[in-house]
Amino acid sequence: MTVPDRRPHVRILLHGAYRGFAGGAREVTLDAATLREALAALVRAHPSLAERLRDEHGKLRAHLSLFVNAEDSRFVGGEDATLADGDIVHVIPALSGG
Amino acid sequence: MAKQVVLLVGTKKGLYTLRSDADRKKWTADGPHQAPAPIHHATYDARDGSMYAAINSTWGGSRIEYSRDLGKTWQTSKNPAFPEGSDRTFFQTWHIEPGHVKTPNLLWAGTEPAALWKSEDRGETWQLNQALDDQPSRAKWVPGFGGMGLHSIAIDAVDPKKMQVGISVGGVYTSTDGGASWAQDNAQTGGKEDRPDVFYCIHKLLAHPKVSGVRFMRVHVDVFWREPGETAWRNRTEGLPSTFGFAAAMHPRDRSVAYVIPLDDTKRTASPPGIGVYSTNDRGATWTRNDKGLPPGAALESVREGMDTDLLDPLGVYFGTANGDVWASRDEGRSWERAAQYLPYVTSVHAATID
Repeated sequence: MTVPDRRPHVRILLHGAYRGFAGGAREVTLDAATLREALAALVRAHPSLAERLRDEHGKLRAHLSLFVNAEDSRFVGGEDATLADGDIVHVIPALSGG
Repeated sequence: MAKQVVLLVGTKKGLYTLRSDADRKKWTADGPHQAPAPIHHATYDARDGSMYAAINSTWGGSRIEYSRDLGKTWQTSKNPAFPEGSDRTFFQTWHIEPGHVKTPNLLWAGTEPAALWKSEDRGETWQLNQALDDQPSRAKWVPGFGGMGLHSIAIDAVDPKKMQVGISVGGVYTSTDGGASWAQDNAQTGGKEDRPDVFYCIHKLLAHPKVSGVRFMRVHVDVFWREPGETAWRNRTEGLPSTFGFAAAMHPRDRSVAYVIPLDDTKRTASPPGIGVYSTNDRGATWTRNDKGLPPGAALESVREGMDTDLLDPLGVYFGTANGDVWASRDEGRSWERAAQYLPYVTSVHAATID
């Protein structure tokens, strides 16, 4: 994976319960080359999200969906998914159950 | 200021509060807080007026929240966290227990996977009790029907270093040094079986809040009493309509009085003749059915954290049901009035008596 010298400017959109976890924030703009970097930068901006995104061993929470633009991150590299200028990352509490 | 009673009612879809004055005739409901998260347990710390809630959410993972303003606003604790390298991950909180009045700022929490956690900063952070975790007998713990959790934390009325914990299914452990070391404490007299390894499945273990050494324990099979100085659990089931149940409470002043709600072992709802609260005034030697005001014949269900008492005189006793009712007694459990209905499935009731 090639990481560019300048990190792309991306937007993180928080949905549903994750807005509450971030004190009501709906959107964060940050620089990140990968989804993993974006999540780390998001936690730096809103530390209260740290334990809402990952468990104590660093694993992403269940019932959490991450999309890069319109793509489910699981199908574009997971946390290694690369980001480009203008990309939008969606942090979504997954709907599950009946 | 006149006393008020605030019932912290945990449900499968958020936390409710029911507030009343000392008469306890009219209740005002507020909530839900944090719906649709299941609230396994919520409690009030009379030492400083804090409230704590076990919010076991799938969204964002489970967490403990605390309120310093009687539930108006809530803050999130730093999660209990198993140490790096552990094969276990904090899943949810089953019980939060304020510490003894002699140990300000100290709280305990029990979780699933079964573990004991200590907070020394009024619930802001939690540390694993390593001594219990290192028990060789932990390998024998197995999940009950509801999972494998530590749910009972019984702190002695006089000496906070003397405490017990109850685990489903892992039995009772006793500490005499404030949790620095533990010993299995499963000896019984009068029981039908002998499981010294895990003592069946503990459902609720209570320490009397005023009298050192008095304990009352609701186990999957049977109920047990322990007097000061005793080292075995004395079977006190005779007189109850079934051996099974979850909800249990002790009278905060009368050291001989306790309450249970028997359930059918297979249906998990109230045994015939329907919902009733059984009380003893002789340390479990005899039991009296109390159902005045309760719906006749109703096969209601009340779970592990479902019953509590206030501190007023005459005593108020409260329990919640799986069909969303909260029932209140203003006369020491003899008669009952509905304090709330149409709530979600009630998982816990804690009565806070506030000046």
